[in-house]
Amino acid sequence: MLKKCPLLILLIGLLLFTINLPGLAQTYRFSIPKEIVHAYWNEDGSLSLQYEIWFANSPSADPIDFVDIGIPTRYYDLNAVQAYVNGIPITSIEKSPYVTNGVALGLGTNAIRPGETGVVTVFIPNIQQVLYVDSSDASYVSAVFSPTWFGSEYVSGLTNLTVVFHLPKGVLPEEPRWHQSPSSFPSEPQTGLDSEGRIFYSWNNPQASASTQYKFGASFPKHYVPETAIVAQSINLDAVMEILFTLICAAIPLLFVILIIYSIVKAQRRKLEYLPPKIAIEGNGIKRGLTAVEAAILLEQPLDKVLTMILFSVLKKGAARVTNKNPLEIVRETEAEIEKLRPYELKFLEAFEISDKKKRQEALQQMIIELVKSVQNKMRGFSRKETVAYYREIVKRAWQQVEDAATPEVKSEKFDQALEWTMLDKDYDDRTRRVFESGPVYVPTWWHRYDPLFPSRPVSIPSTSSPSAPQTPTYTSAPRLPGADFAASIVNGVQNLSGSVIGNLSDFTSKITNKTNPPPAPSTSRSYRSSSGGCACACACACAGCACACAGGGR
Amino acid sequence: MRFSQWFQSKRAETPFPLSQGLYRFPTIENSYHITVHLRVEAEQHASLILNGNTILQLNPTATWMTYLALYNVPASVAAQKLSILFSTSRATIERDYRQLSHTIHSILGRGHLCFHDNPEVETLFPFQYHPSAPYRMDLALTYQCNNQCFHCYNDPNRTVSPLSIEQWKAVIDRIWELGIPHIVFTGGEPTLVEGLTLLIEYAKQKGLITGLNTNGRRLSDIGYAQSLHDAGLDHIQITLESANPTVHDRIVQKNGAWKQTITGIQNALKTQCFVMTNTTLLRENFDTLPQTLNYLAELGVPTIGLNALIYSGKGCSVAQPLTETELFPLLKFAQDFVEQSGQKLIWYTPTHYCNFDPMSLNLGVKGCTAALFNLCIEPNGEVLPCQSYYQSLGNFLIDDWESIWHHPLAEALRTRQYISEQCGDCLLLSQCGGGCPLAPTQINWQTFFRMEA
Repeated sequence: MLKKCPLLILLIGLLLFTINLPGLAQTYRFSIPKEIVHAYWNEDGSLSLQYEIWFANSPSADPIDFVDIGIPTRYYDLNAVQAYVNGIPITSIEKSPYVTNGVALGLGTNAIRPGETGVVTVFIPNIQQVLYVDSSDASYVSAVFSPTWFGSEYVSGLTNLTVVFHLPKGVLPEEPRWHQSPSSFPSEPQTGLDSEGRIFYSWNNPQASASTQYKFGASFPKHYVPETAIVAQSINLDAVMEILFTLICAAIPLLFVILIIYSIVKAQRRKLEYLPPKIAIEGNGIKRGLTAVEAAILLEQPLDKVLTMILFSVLKKGAARVTNKNPLEIVRETEAEIEKLRPYELKFLEAFEISDKKKRQEALQQMIIELVKSVQNKMRGFSRKETVAYYREIVKRAWQQVEDAATPEVKSEKFDQALEWTMLDKDYDDRTRRVFESGPVYVPTWWHRYDPLFPSRPVSIPSTSSPSAPQTPTYTSAPRLPGADFAASIVNGVQNLSGSVIGNLSDFTSKITNKTNPPPAPSTSRSYRSSSGGCACACACACAGCACACAGGGR
Repeated sequence: MRFSQWFQSKRAETPFPLSQGLYRFPTIENSYHITVHLRVEAEQHASLILNGNTILQLNPTATWMTYLALYNVPASVAAQKLSILFSTSRATIERDYRQLSHTIHSILGRGHLCFHDNPEVETLFPFQYHPSAPYRMDLALTYQCNNQCFHCYNDPNRTVSPLSIEQWKAVIDRIWELGIPHIVFTGGEPTLVEGLTLLIEYAKQKGLITGLNTNGRRLSDIGYAQSLHDAGLDHIQITLESANPTVHDRIVQKNGAWKQTITGIQNALKTQCFVMTNTTLLRENFDTLPQTLNYLAELGVPTIGLNALIYSGKGCSVAQPLTETELFPLLKFAQDFVEQSGQKLIWYTPTHYCNFDPMSLNLGVKGCTAALFNLCIEPNGEVLPCQSYYQSLGNFLIDDWESIWHHPLAEALRTRQYISEQCGDCLLLSQCGGGCPLAPTQINWQTFFRMEA
C-alpha cells in the first residue's frame, strides 16, 4: 500500500490538473464541434501532442481570449510549444495559471469573438515521464493519455472527438495492444499505419463531450523505448483504479468546491487586455472660423511667417502697400476700409507707422501677444487636437486645389485665394517653388502693392469656381511673371520680414512667449485660501465639463 | 529607491481594482491651491475632479494610473504594479504612465486644463456623459431671507419644516458616500441658519469642498465672515444687483441692504476664501452694469457672475424681463470689460442659442445641468433637480438614492425631453439643450410632469 501511494497521488494529480479551466471573471460560453488529437509515442519514450480544436463561441459570451491546454506531466519544454489560431501564430504562450501542468495560449487580438468560430492548433513536443510498466506484462510499457477537457460551465454541445495514438517506429503490427476504450467510444479503435509507417490506433466518437475526461491507452514492448524513459514499476492498475474510484467518489463534492474557489481566485488574477489610458473632458470639439493668421498661431508657426501672412492679408485688402522691400517699409492706403481690418491687422499697420526700429519691434510683439491671447481665448473649451487636425486638413486642401489646377490661370487664382492657408504648410517654401517654377504666373491683383517695382495695372480675374459651363479665362491681358521669380518673391517675403523687421527671431519670439506662456508661478504658501468651487478658472469654466452652470445664481 | 519614493509607493498600494467611491487626495499647494477628488465609478471608469468644477473623465487604465500618479509613484514602480494586471509589456505601461503623469501634473501645476498644452486630452461632446451622481449638491438650509428680492426664484409661499443640524450632518455623510465632492450652502439666506459654521466644519472634515451663496449682509460682521473661513469654507458667492445703492435696495426691497452687502464683500475679500459676486440682469439694473463692473473691479473682486432671470417663484411674476436677445450686448460689454480688467466672468444661464449663444462670446457651453451635474436639497430634505425647480425627486434621508437619481423627472431632464419641437434639427441643440426648462417656452411641459408625478 505504501508503495502505491505516490502513484495514487500522481494519478489524482493527472486527473485534477489536466482539466482545462478557461476561468476568468468573464462569461465564457462556447462549443467544440470538432477536436482531433494526435499522440505520438516516440522512440525516446517521450510523447508529442498535436491538438486541433474547433471553437464556436456563443454570440452572447465574451471573446475567447485564452485557451488553457492540460499536459500530462510537467516535463516538457515551454519554449518548444507552438500554437496557432486560424493559422496565425500565437505568440503569448505561458504556463497556465489554471492548470498545474499546462499551457495558456493568449489569443490577443485574434481572440475568437462572440458568434464566431476559430481553430486552435497546438503542438507540444517531447513530453517526458509518460510511460509506465504494464501491470499485466512487465515486458510491455503502458501508454495512457487523456486529452484536455473543459469545464462544463463553459462548454456545451457535442464534439466529434478523434484521438489517434502513433506508436513508436519499429513496433510490429502484432505486438501492441489497445486498452479498453472509454465507454462512449467504439470498443475497438481503427488501426493502420500512418505516413511514417508507424502503427496508429484511432478512436472516434462524433457525439463526445468536451467537458468529459476520456482515457485512452495502449501497450507495446518496452524495448522500443529506453529503460530510463519508463517511470515506475508496473502496478496493479485495476486495484489502483478501484481505490481511486472510491476516493474520487468520496472527494468529488470537496474537489468541486476547491475547483470553483481555485477558478475564481485565479480568474481574478487573469491579466486584463491593456487599453491605453485616455483622459477626456466635455468640450466643443473643433473651433471653426479662425482666420489663417489665427490658425497659424494655433499651429505654432514661426512668428516671421505669421507677420508675413498679416502683411499679405493687409495688402490683399488694399489697406497698405510696400514702399521698400528690404528693409521692409509699408504705408497705409488712405482709401482702405478700416472696418474690414481685424484688430491684429490694424495693430500691424500701426506698428509700421513707427519709424524707430526697436519701438516698432515692441509694437509688433505687443500685437502678437494680443493675437495669441485672442486665439487662446477663442480656443477656450474647444479641443486643440481636433482643431489643429481640422486646420491642417484645410491647408492640405488649399494646396491640393492649387496643385490640381488645370491651367496656369486657375492655378494662380487658387493660389491667390488660399495664399495665407498655403503658407501654413511646413513645406511651404519648397512647395511654392515646385509648383510655380515652370511656366508663367498670373500675378494677383494686389501684386503691385507688394512689389513696388511692379507696374500697377487693373486686372480682371475671372471666376472659375462656378460649376457651370467651362469658361474661357481672360488672363491674356493679366500681368505675368516667370514662375521662379514669383515663387522667390513670395518666399522671400518671409525672409525680408525676418531680416529687416524682426531682427533676431529667437529674441523676438522669446519676448512674446514670456508674456503668453509665463513660467509657472513658484510654490507658495498661497495668498488666498482657495479657488475651489467658485470656478475661478475661466478656461475650465468654458467647458461643459464644469459643473458651474446655474451654480446658485439668480437671486 | 529613495525613502520618499518608497513611502509614496507604499501609500498607493491599494490593490486594484479600486473600490467604487470618492477618493480625496492631498491638496496641491501651489499658487492655485487645488483640491483633488477621484470618483471611481462602476467598471473602474472615474472622474478626476479639480476644485469641484473641472471634471476629467478617465478610462479604467487612466483611473489606475492617475491614482498612482497622484501619489507621485515613480514610473518604474507604477509599471511594475500595473504590469501584473495587464497583458502588455512593462515598457509600454511605463511609457504611457509617464505621459499620463505628466498630463495630470501639468494640469495641477497650471491650476486648470489647457487644451493648448495638453492636446492629448480628448473632448467629449457636452452633456453626453451621465454620471452616477451629481458633482455638486446645493443645500438650501432655509427659505428664510433678510432680503425680499422681487425676482427671487424662491416661492414665498413654500413652507417646510427644516432639518436639524444633526440631520444636515447626516445629509453630508450621505453626500460623501455617494461620491459627491462639492456642496454649496444656499437658501433663502443660509447665513441666517445658526449652525452653518458647524456644518461647514463637518463637511470640511469629510473632505468636501464647501461654498456659500449669500446676500452678504451678515458678512458685514467681519468676525462672522472670518469664522466661516476658519471653519473651512472654500468659496463665497455674494449677490450684488447693482453698484448703485438705490437700484440694489429697490431690487432686494430692503433699505440699507446695499451698504451691508458691500461691507460683506469687502470682509469676504479679507478672508482667504475665493470670492465672487453674482448679478441678475434685469430691466431694473442693466443700465448700471458698467458702473457695477467698474465698482467690483475697484473692490478687487476677482470673478464676476452674471445670470438672467429664473422663471420660478417670484421670478415668474416679473413684469418685463430682459429677453434673451437683449442679453448679447450686455454680455459682450461685460466680456470686453473683464478682458481689460483681468477679472473672470462666469455666465450661468442656459439660453436658447438662437437667441443668445454664449459660445459666441467665449462664455462656454451653458446648458441646463439640473439632475445631471447638480441637485438641490430643500430645508426639509427633499431633493430638487435644481434649487429653482420645485418638484421633489424624493427625500434624501429617507428614499433610496437610485429612486431619486432615476426619478422620471430627473431622467427627463438629463435626456432633455423638455426640448421644444421648434428646436428640431438645430445644429446648436446639443450644446444649447433648449435653454432653461423653467423658461416660459417649456411651461406646458413642466405642468405635464407635475401631473405625471
